Amino acid sequence: MSWNYLFIQAANGLVIGVIYALIAVGVTLIFSILKIVNFAHGDLYMLGGYCAYYVITLLGVPPLAAMFLSMAALFTLAVALERTMLTPLYSDRTERKDEYGLIVTFGLAFFLRNVAIIAFGPFPLKPPSFISGVTRFGSLVLTNDRLFAGGTGLLLIAALLYFMHRTIWGQALDAVSQSRESAAIVGINAQRFNSFAFGVGAALAAAAGALIAPIFSLAPDMGVLPNIQAYVIVILGGMGSVIGSIIAGITLGESEGLFTAFFPDATRALAYTNAFGVLVLMIVLIFRPTGLFGRRHLRME
Amino acid sequence: MRAKGRWHAAGRLALVIGGLGIASALLLGVEARAADTIKVGWVGPLSPPGGYAEGALMKQATQLAIEEINAKGGVLGKKLECFYEDTRGQPEEGTAAAQRLISQDHVVGITGEFHSSVFLAEMEVAHAAGVPIIAVDVWALKITGKGYPEVFRVAPNQALIAAKYGDWLAAAGFKNVAIIVEKTDGGQSARDVLLPILDKNKVHYDIVGSDPNATEFTAQIERFKSNNPPYDFFMTIFSEAGAYPMVSQSYTLGFAPTAHTGIGNTGGPAVDPTFWENVKDGGKYLVTEIVGLPKNAWNDKTKGFVAAFKKKYNTTPSPQAVENYDAMYILAEAIEHAKSTDGKALVAALEKTHWLGGRGMYSFSTSHDPDWAYHQFMAAPVALVQYDKVGQEADDAPIIWPRNIATVKYMYNKPPK
Repeated sequence: MSWNYLFIQAANGLVIGVIYALIAVGVTLIFSILKIVNFAHGDLYMLGGYCAYYVITLLGVPPLAAMFLSMAALFTLAVALERTMLTPLYSDRTERKDEYGLIVTFGLAFFLRNVAIIAFGPFPLKPPSFISGVTRFGSLVLTNDRLFAGGTGLLLIAALLYFMHRTIWGQALDAVSQSRESAAIVGINAQRFNSFAFGVGAALAAAAGALIAPIFSLAPDMGVLPNIQAYVIVILGGMGSVIGSIIAGITLGESEGLFTAFFPDATRALAYTNAFGVLVLMIVLIFRPTGLFGRRHLRME
Repeated sequence: MRAKGRWHAAGRLALVIGGLGIASALLLGVEARAADTIKVGWVGPLSPPGGYAEGALMKQATQLAIEEINAKGGVLGKKLECFYEDTRGQPEEGTAAAQRLISQDHVVGITGEFHSSVFLAEMEVAHAAGVPIIAVDVWALKITGKGYPEVFRVAPNQALIAAKYGDWLAAAGFKNVAIIVEKTDGGQSARDVLLPILDKNKVHYDIVGSDPNATEFTAQIERFKSNNPPYDFFMTIFSEAGAYPMVSQSYTLGFAPTAHTGIGNTGGPAVDPTFWENVKDGGKYLVTEIVGLPKNAWNDKTKGFVAAFKKKYNTTPSPQAVENYDAMYILAEAIEHAKSTDGKALVAALEKTHWLGGRGMYSFSTSHDPDWAYHQFMAAPVALVQYDKVGQEADDAPIIWPRNIATVKYMYNKPPK
């Protein structure tokens, strides 16, 4: 295998990794504030993709603008869902909050998936490209949609990091994630930030769905695999660590791509790709039980 | 206060008695209505993780058949009442669905299914209960190979489909084939049939298994692309929605279809309504199968079905839809001829099936040689077509194999350089 081949596979893995990271940061953000793993995140990602599709095809809005509209729509939907379904999480009368969060988000995932089949139909749909065509770097061929998705994903992640570390709202979110009670003492309304975090997480998922739609097509069950991958990434990066999930997302994208490219038994490489991602997670957890950024995780909690 | 309380209690009691009365009347009504119908069942995937897109079309075709049969007076003077079960592509759901249909709904026969693994679970229940079950779009050999008297199949099986691909690949002169196969019962069965034919014809191949839910194939396609000597055909044995990104990725990465490497898909997605929306230019030159009569051989039943389906659902029916439509008619015909809904009588009637449907004249083999032939519709039509225009309907694409029904002189239309 040549260096050229390695470069091609690494470049593809990087693009997929950025998209994984974009999905996973939303899960991390929600986990760090609400202290639940949102198992409906992949389905919010699916809804975001469909929302952008219909904004493009029915209203004639350009794909990039449609992505932002989809983010706004999913932010609003997620806030409404959080207000109606997740408020018992903050009540002292709810004894098993982890189980409650798990059951509610699992239920929501099934509900959204089945509603999507009725609302959007069972057949896969594909919106127009953000930028059609391919870009060649020597023998490396990347579709412009992948380049655009990777680049926009990086920009959105950078915007999130800026927001988290350089704005008062971001610092307030960080404060709530560290200690709800201490945040309340300094006048931060934790409940408002619960809704906000859930909304921002969903908006990021919507962006990922809209970016991925011209690459993989839209289908009502498209969120199932990302749900699992996002969970793997969040644990790999360290539960609650935004930086951890970005690095873990890119690591997973790269390792899956390179595994498929270089696993000696070519007949089994593709089938074992997802299992390899979980294997990477297990190995990391053996040496770092709190994930790659475990210390950060402790700080966030 | 006590008097008022007594009135409230009496009122509640009256409400309960009234409610029970209404409920009883409704139940009796249902019973009376049920006695006037013959109950049949349909199984198939209508939600994830199953192939719900195909399942939806299949269910619609069955609904159309039921409506038509009932509009013509039903069967044995009674209306057909169909119970639909979503099996989600999961064998355990298939078992539960078949049990519900047989034990709870008391159906006399079942049709449907899109996933071989699910049908294999359903047919065990039907076999134990002695209820006939007609396999509609499931291709694994062992379905009829088990030799259960209750199991019939209107679909072609892999010996009839994958064998055609094998024969065509050899006849068209391909020498080095890359194959991605979904890891399902259907995929395994296709592999078991296809590979010996390629071996026999000295066609070299490399076969790669894939999770049926996968959508990212870039790394694998790049691996294929870097192979030396280069592959001259890329065969995808994939029935799930992942077939679309696979075809798109292969096209955009410049692997296939190209002047050097052809591409094919078996499993169904390439004839579904949104195929072109998803693959666009990548679908031109793709080879796939149609499991119905070629358009130039359509009979009045085929034409009538296609027109009725388009009118009712505003979309073109897939070959799987025709299979479902015909299967329900075949079951109704068997009930009519048996003049009974008894399982054994229906099996005997189904064995004598001689009915012209939208896919030709149906009959079921009673031979066990080979084992999969038992209760198989041996003349199930299968044709390989190759798209030569973007947006073309499968029925309008040129037939390239088998040669006796081919509509073009060439065996493979190679894309220009």
